[in-house]
Amino acid sequence: MLTLNHFLALGAILFAIGLYGLLSRRNLVAILMSVEILLNAILVNVVAIARFNDQAQGDVFALFIIAIAAAEVAVGLALFLNVFRLNGVATVDPLRRMKE
Amino acid sequence: MPLVLPDIDWLTLAPLLVLLSTASLAALYALYNRSSKAVALLALLGLAVAAIFNLQLFVASRAGELRSSFGLRYLADQGALAFNFVILLGAALAILISYDYLKRAELEQPEYYPLMLLSASGAMVMAAAGDLIILLLGLEIMSLAVYVLSAWRQQARESAEAGMKYFLLGAFASAFLIYGIALIYGATGFFSYPQIVAGLLAEGFEQIFLATLGGIMILAGLGFKVALVPFHQWAPDVYTGAPTPVTAFMSVVVKTAAFAALLRIFAFIYPELGVLAVQSLVVLIALTLIVGNFTALVQRGIKRMLAYSAVAHAGYLALAVLAAGNLGMRAAIWYLTAYTLMNAGAFAVLTLLSDRNDHGDDLERFAGLARSRPYLAAAMTVFLLSLAGIPLLAGFVGKILVFSAAIEAGYVSLTVIAIITSVVAMVYYLRPVMYMYFREPEYEPLQTNSRSTHIAIGIAVFGTVLLGIFPGWWYSLLDLGQSLLAGL
Repeated sequence: MLTLNHFLALGAILFAIGLYGLLSRRNLVAILMSVEILLNAILVNVVAIARFNDQAQGDVFALFIIAIAAAEVAVGLALFLNVFRLNGVATVDPLRRMKE
Repeated sequence: MPLVLPDIDWLTLAPLLVLLSTASLAALYALYNRSSKAVALLALLGLAVAAIFNLQLFVASRAGELRSSFGLRYLADQGALAFNFVILLGAALAILISYDYLKRAELEQPEYYPLMLLSASGAMVMAAAGDLIILLLGLEIMSLAVYVLSAWRQQARESAEAGMKYFLLGAFASAFLIYGIALIYGATGFFSYPQIVAGLLAEGFEQIFLATLGGIMILAGLGFKVALVPFHQWAPDVYTGAPTPVTAFMSVVVKTAAFAALLRIFAFIYPELGVLAVQSLVVLIALTLIVGNFTALVQRGIKRMLAYSAVAHAGYLALAVLAAGNLGMRAAIWYLTAYTLMNAGAFAVLTLLSDRNDHGDDLERFAGLARSRPYLAAAMTVFLLSLAGIPLLAGFVGKILVFSAAIEAGYVSLTVIAIITSVVAMVYYLRPVMYMYFREPEYEPLQTNSRSTHIAIGIAVFGTVLLGIFPGWWYSLLDLGQSLLAGL
């Protein structure tokens, strides 16, 4: 029998995977994907909580998270293109210019 | 299920709607007319109209008429309205500085100004939020615009780097914030502050661990926006790489909004969470005060020094958050007003000293400034002394208010740390002053046409001195009375 805790655990594991990707990847696109995993992990949590509480509020929050994720990716890709155009590579390595 | 429409009070939303519609209008106008002067003026007009609506609401709320919209989810109590004034002031100063700067740096795309207005409107949403979803929406509206603005110098690698870094770490931080919101929702089943508190206090509540964990995650997410140590690493790089007017905007408006949100949730929700949530803020403050001030000591670049000084000021402000309650809220609003004036002023002076490519924010640029540009040097001295907390200037009164609120709340040892570190801070604030008055000039001062920047500096000097000499009137206006949420 699936309980709410199973879903919360799944969400936590996904969040951890996203965190690991964010911290270990050097490629900017992979980092953006990790951010998406983070948000989707939260989405799993929220939808499960809403389902088990039998509430519409949580589903609305889930829709908000999806919208926010979409907006973030749009801005993120634009910034990423700008970095790519200037540096010619798509990794975080050129982003250390200012760390003297 | 019947569809229930929310109660929308349009007057409560008026300042916000004015900003949003001005931003849309300005963006549309920019399609046909590439004159950035017209768009900048339109943006300033929008800010002024929003301020008038805000003033009307403020007067009404002082007369006891408290308004809210969407069923206590969007609040217009005196706290939120006072924060709106600070946000509008900060945005107006940033736009005044930007106009000259963008022209000099040949970055005059008029879309810049609508983005700034959108960001300011997000900040107002954060200040008014009475619900965690609204808080998140405000934060994202504000942040997404600032990510783009900090990469505005498209040809400069530093700026691209600043934008990308701010975006990546910002997305990371907002993921934490959203996770925290989800956990609090999971524990209590609600998003709006009064319902969360009611849920936490309910008989037989067992999920205190989840709720406390959520509270700590929210603290981390907002701590990132205000640059509390250890969530401050982005600040020096982003502050240095972003165009200077954007740095000014970031350091005042974004900080004000995040503190407004933090103050409200800390006053209402955190007392009901586990003791761990409050204790973690105490640790963050102690770290912030020490690391911020001591790292600022060893910086050579002025922009980097001001970035670490902004970190340190986040520490002082967080003391007021810790004090919570009416006293802390008043102290924080007062401090943020002073901080907006003096910090935006300091960055305004900086834009006049750096060259076209935004290089040259090192100390040597200040050498002999008192001889070549005496008024500019005097203004910078006022800002730096006020940031350091010298009496008769606004920063001093702000510090006194915050420290006494913190002592009142019983955080004596933390306040002692704050006082000691603010003495240390004198060293790095006074160093540029020494350079300006006791060194020979090394650079030819730039003779640039910069009327609007001068207006911004004038406003900032006037405000800093006025608030320093007559602190009482603004403080008594901030007599916040009852918050809308307090009685629930």
